[in-house]
Amino acid sequence: MSSVDNFFLLMEGFATAMQPMYLLYALGGVLVGTAVGVLPGIGPAMTVALLMPITYSLEPTAAIIVFAGIYYGGMYGGSTTSILLNTPGESSSIVTALEGNKMAKAGRGAAALATAAVGSFVAGTIATVLLSFVAPYVAAFAVQIGPVEYVALMVVAFLTVGALLGSSVLRGLASLGLGLFIALVGFDALTAQQRYTFGSPFLADGIDVVLVAVALFAVGEALYVGSRLRHGPIKIIPVTGGWTSWLRKEDLRRSWKPWLRGTAIGFPVGTIPAGGADVATFLSYASERKLAKGENKKQFGKGAIEGVAGPEAANNAAAAGVLVPLLTLGIPTTATAAMMLVAFQRYQIPVGPQLFESNSTLVWALIASLYVGNLMLLVLNLPLVGIWVKILQIPRPYLYSGILVFAVLGAFSVNFTPIDVIILLIVGILGFFMRRYGYPIAPMVVGLILGPIFESQLRRSLAISQGDPVALVQSPVAATIYVVLVVIFALSMLLKRRQRQFEAMVVANADAPDVVRGSATAPETAAAPVTSAPDTREDTDR
Amino acid sequence: MSTSVQNAPGSGTAAAPGAPVGELVFALIIVSIGVVGFVAGAGIQTPPSASDIGPRAFPFAVSALLVVVGAGLVLQVLRGHRGAADEGEDVDLEAKTDWLTVGKLSGFVLLHAFLIVPLGWPVAAALLFFGAAWSLGARPWWRNLMTAIILALVLQFVFGGLLGVSLPPGFLEGFGVFGG
Repeated sequence: MSSVDNFFLLMEGFATAMQPMYLLYALGGVLVGTAVGVLPGIGPAMTVALLMPITYSLEPTAAIIVFAGIYYGGMYGGSTTSILLNTPGESSSIVTALEGNKMAKAGRGAAALATAAVGSFVAGTIATVLLSFVAPYVAAFAVQIGPVEYVALMVVAFLTVGALLGSSVLRGLASLGLGLFIALVGFDALTAQQRYTFGSPFLADGIDVVLVAVALFAVGEALYVGSRLRHGPIKIIPVTGGWTSWLRKEDLRRSWKPWLRGTAIGFPVGTIPAGGADVATFLSYASERKLAKGENKKQFGKGAIEGVAGPEAANNAAAAGVLVPLLTLGIPTTATAAMMLVAFQRYQIPVGPQLFESNSTLVWALIASLYVGNLMLLVLNLPLVGIWVKILQIPRPYLYSGILVFAVLGAFSVNFTPIDVIILLIVGILGFFMRRYGYPIAPMVVGLILGPIFESQLRRSLAISQGDPVALVQSPVAATIYVVLVVIFALSMLLKRRQRQFEAMVVANADAPDVVRGSATAPETAAAPVTSAPDTREDTDR
Repeated sequence: MSTSVQNAPGSGTAAAPGAPVGELVFALIIVSIGVVGFVAGAGIQTPPSASDIGPRAFPFAVSALLVVVGAGLVLQVLRGHRGAADEGEDVDLEAKTDWLTVGKLSGFVLLHAFLIVPLGWPVAAALLFFGAAWSLGARPWWRNLMTAIILALVLQFVFGGLLGVSLPPGFLEGFGVFGG
């Protein structure tokens, strides 16, 4: 396959994705994605899981385009929340949230939002170009590998996702084990024997992946947040000034290099399963901090624009990078990628190395829709910030009640039986305890989805070698993969230690009382509010 | 913004309020799932003609993983290493776990499961929303009820009517726009 061929395939993909109907689906996807990205407690993984049973009537291409829009939209929305919401967010985004949040407090929220949005667009576009060029070559390599190498790749995915995504290695592996275990329930695909069904006809068909995912993401989250709901008003930092004047020359001058560096860091980190976007954003933040000079360096921890521009770009580039192993090997390395894989399976699209050959029209339409979605996000995101702030203000009791209603809707729609709602509740309670005791959710979902594929490939490998397990490491390619695994592990452990020390240092610094106001001038705050703070409920749009 | 120090981001283990009994029990449950996996796994029939490693090997491997990791976690908890509870924008890590709310929410989901068939999806869903919002502290009740009814009708219309998902319409039977 030459790159000229790929270029033509991509153009065909654009021809598909640019059809008015698909453009509409992409628009719907990015809007829903941004909205759920903005809302705390809902992520793109949960949304894709929830929408899957209720979008059965869509044709595969339309559904995949919607999910791609949600995937990218979720990234944009998340940054809006961390910049504008005045509560400490998840630890993964803490460093970026810190700089963006501090900027917003110093009256520079508009610039933070703008550099995040434009940076996401730049990074997303460059990374999607890289994806279009890299993925076909990886796919061409992937079709040549056998079950032994495939097993090796999945071991890498399991161990990196299980051991590196969360903060505790044992808890990650326990989560992975639970996912693998639930995946075993039902008929064995090769011998048609019942496993762990305990004689129950409801368990004979296995527990539906979507059901488990919705339960873990939605019900588990609602129960957990309900158990420790932060009461009181939702404090949102108001954004001032018209959105067209948000990114000044000075801001642009300080942002463009971090955008490019963030992209360069994010894409490769996304393609290897080394902890996902977390690692990418941290690496980008650390390097921006190191590279900053003089007055700009002093702003770090107090609202430095480089500290928003770089990590946001890295985050989006990593999201595109994650699609490389997903589309070429069928190996998801994040929870959202895992749900995308389930979406492919639902529509009977064979995932794995053969995807690029057997469904090239669909894959290229998906990639083309990523370009389109990215552009839509840039165009829509800043003008619509007033709407996103409105969404952020939804009273939390209603938000989490709504999540529960959508969850039961999704669960019931899987097989149209109320028993699924009861299974949803049981797995949801499991998800609640996992969150409470610090067990990461993503490894369980990845184990659940990759488990059956892993087992069949493992058994094929061992059937070929007549039961000799040494064959699993004898192939040179497989052996190389295992060596790379060890290297990834060593590097990640080192990186995690550094990250922990670094974050502790940053947080300690940021709590210092003096706030450097950057180039912002205080009087600007007096301008007409684009968005309303909870106490001033006026909705003047610019 | 004040970031709490004892829940420093990224730290693998951190102090969580409350006694570690629950966490210990959870780790023990993981061990016992592994044990059940071994016991029930021994009952899996292996066809004599199986040319590969058979349907038992992988379940045994997963069970072993659960037993080993679970035992490791039990030890860790006993030594005082606690899991860091999940963080989030709406989560108040300083607050004690409100078991009553968890119980109420679970109860309303269970009730919903039993009401879908006799009362239809819209009524069951409205009741779930109303109950959940009340459990989470939303007041006044009439606004909760209005929101619940509107949400249930809109969802029934969009998914039952427009997208053709077969949600039992209950009392809306016969109204084509809500899906029949």
